[in-house]
Order: sequence, then structure tokens, then C-alpha cells
Amino acid sequence: MLFIHQYACISAQDSFPEVNLDAVIAPVDGKLFAREPAYDGIPKGTLRRMSKPVRMAIGAASVLLKTSGRLDGIIGATANAGMDDCFRFLQQIIQYEEGLLTPGNFVQSTPNAMPAQVSMMTQNHGYNMTHVHLGLAFENALIDASMLVDEHPGSKYLLGTVDDISAYNYNINRLGGWYKALNSHGDFYNAGTTGSIPGEGAAMFIVSSEKSGSIAGITAAETLHTEDAALVVDRLQTFLSLHLPNEVPDLLLSGENGDQQLLPFYEGCEQLLPPGTGVLRYKHLTGEFPTANALGLWFGCYILQHQRFPAHMVKVEPGVEKLRHILIYNNFKGLQHSFILLSGS
Amino acid sequence: METAELKENLKKQIIQFLNLSVTPAEIKDDEPLFGEGLGLDSIDSIELIVLLGREYGITIQDPKEGRKILVDINTMVAYIEQHRTK
Repeated sequence: MLFIHQYACISAQDSFPEVNLDAVIAPVDGKLFAREPAYDGIPKGTLRRMSKPVRMAIGAASVLLKTSGRLDGIIGATANAGMDDCFRFLQQIIQYEEGLLTPGNFVQSTPNAMPAQVSMMTQNHGYNMTHVHLGLAFENALIDASMLVDEHPGSKYLLGTVDDISAYNYNINRLGGWYKALNSHGDFYNAGTTGSIPGEGAAMFIVSSEKSGSIAGITAAETLHTEDAALVVDRLQTFLSLHLPNEVPDLLLSGENGDQQLLPFYEGCEQLLPPGTGVLRYKHLTGEFPTANALGLWFGCYILQHQRFPAHMVKVEPGVEKLRHILIYNNFKGLQHSFILLSGS
Repeated sequence: METAELKENLKKQIIQFLNLSVTPAEIKDDEPLFGEGLGLDSIDSIELIVLLGREYGITIQDPKEGRKILVDINTMVAYIEQHRTK
């Protein structure tokens, strides 16, 4: 079992460094941009070279690293890494006819820039890995961390993810019909239209095999690729019977994102769960992006630790007062699905 | 181009290339670029060498030569004035 000891998140809401989820911050120009802090913990010389995703990831990680102690490795996840810097580098190649090129944009654009930067800042020479499985990048990083702590009892890792709204990805996804123009949350889930709101953010966790002092534990995580909603429900049923055989989840933390095309997946999972299971949604706070589910896990940790959640997240009120088990279900573009079972320590 | 104008342009280019949070007026002509002064590092030196190539047509191939040139604004400007090809 993988236990979460610390968690931090930079998102479009007031989630860093202090958390205030009561006031919902609305999109700007149809986008939920992250609210970046001042990054006081990052040396200015380092900060000026960082791309936005690296900056957000390091910013969220740095607050955890202050008290985490020695880590055995760093496990990152990103779908797109620094796409804007990647394009600046490619523009340089064209502009200077493959002549004089500077390394800055290239270094900052690579997916492993975040784990590498943390490694350099902390002089950590342990395991260092980045997972890039698009909508399942975070879940694969999480499964990697689970396997590592199983193999090395007592080990401790920084597990984290980041993605930002790049011009390239935004334009491609908008043309593909994945976004709709909304500047308020009022119609987010009930507009009856396709598409969601683009978002961005970074979420970081300190994880280990040690239960003592943890906030929550991940009992199981599973991923699958399918476009068949019935198969998703079938797999969820098997997942729950295997990993929560004698109980039921108190809460479903749903990745529902306002896109009517994807609603059957989420409704299918909701209908599988018994009456009394609460349903909360978080994408109106984070927006949609490939690794948004890491922020879902962050919400799960926050809810289990504080035993409270804001009313605007509630789709179905939970039937119990004390929340112990949270099922997190998310899918990306109706193809990449994941289940995470999170339990209070 | 007058030396003063060249210094001003070079400072603007350094700020732009290195994404520095200072104004040209805050960079003194005799302030060391590396270490105590502007606090630049080895990655920045690559950026500065590329800057000289792109903006002034200067190619620096010997690292020892680079260390003598990239000392402060005065040394850079003196070298640019002697070796620029554009």
C-alpha cells in the first residue's frame, strides 16, 4: 500500500500555499490558468530560466521538500511538458538555419525537466523517472511508486505531475471540439454541450510504504484504454470487489468535466455504486488537462484529512459523516480511464 | 554606432536573452557578469556566446578567449567593436 504523507498543489484555485476552496475562481477567456505564487523558495537565477510547467512543479514540490527529509527518488508525470518552450526551440532552428542554438528552451521543454531540476536542487541521486502516458501519465507514475515501495519497504519518493495550457495544445484541442467557451462556472456541468474548459496545474505528493504519520493510503490504482462505457463499469465492479470486498466507497470523486460526450462513462460508474455513496466533482475548479486527475487525488487527500468539502463540489451528498474510502474515477477524452482507491489513515 | 549606444543595446540584448529581471540602467559597465555581479552561470555563458554570434557575427571557439571577453559590459563592447562582422 502506498501512503501519502504530504501533498501540495498549484491550481487555478486558491490551493497554494494556503488552501481556500470556498470561493470558486472563474475562468479567464475560457481558460482556468494556474494562480502562480511568488516562488520565494526558488533561487532567482534558477527561476528566470524555468518554463511555466517546471516553475509550477518546482514551486509545489519545494514546500514539501522543506520537511520531507531524505528521498529515495523522484517520480514525475506530464503529458505535454513545456510545449511553448519546445516551439521556441523549434523556431530557433528555423530562424537560425540550424546554426547557433541555445540550450535553455530545449532543456526546459523536456518532460524530465521537473524531476531533473528537483534532483539537482536537492542533490538527490536516487531513482529519477518521468511518465508521459498522456491522460494516464500520473496514474502510471503512481503505479510506479507503488511498485517501488513494495520492492523497497521504508523507501520514500516525491511523486508529482504538471501540465500547462500551451498555445499549441489549446489550439489543437479547441479545433478538435474539446473546449467550449465558458467564462463562469454556472453552466459548467449542465450546459448540455460537448467540450470542457482547459486547465493547468501541478500536484506533488510525498509517498512511502510507512503508514505512520500518513494522511491517506492508496489501496489500489488501475488503468485501462477503452471507448466502451459498459467495459469501464465492468472493470470498476471487479476493481471494487478485489480491493474493497466488504465495504463500499463513501465517496466517488468524479472527473466529470462538463462534456456531454463523456457523461455516460461517469454516470455508469455512479450508477454502479450503492445509494448513500456521495459524488463530488472537481473539474470546474481545475479545468480539463491530461494530468488533472493528480489534482483529483489532491482533493481526495484534502477531503480525507479535513473531513470537509465545499458545497459547489457536491453532485450527490454522501450518506455518512465520517469519510473513509474515496473512489477516484477519471477518463481522458473517453479513452484513457483510471480508478484510484484512496483510504484515510 | 557610438560606444555608449552599443553598451545600451548590449544590455537590452543580455536582459532579453537571459530573461533577467533588471533594467539596462541597473547593469553597471564594470560590474562582473558572473559570480558576485549579475550572478550569471555557465549556461548563461553559452547564451552570451550565441548572442555575440547572432547579433554581431562574432564566433568564439576558444573557451579561454571567451573567459577574457565575458567579464563585464566594457570587455564585451571592446571586443564587439573590434571583431563584429554585422
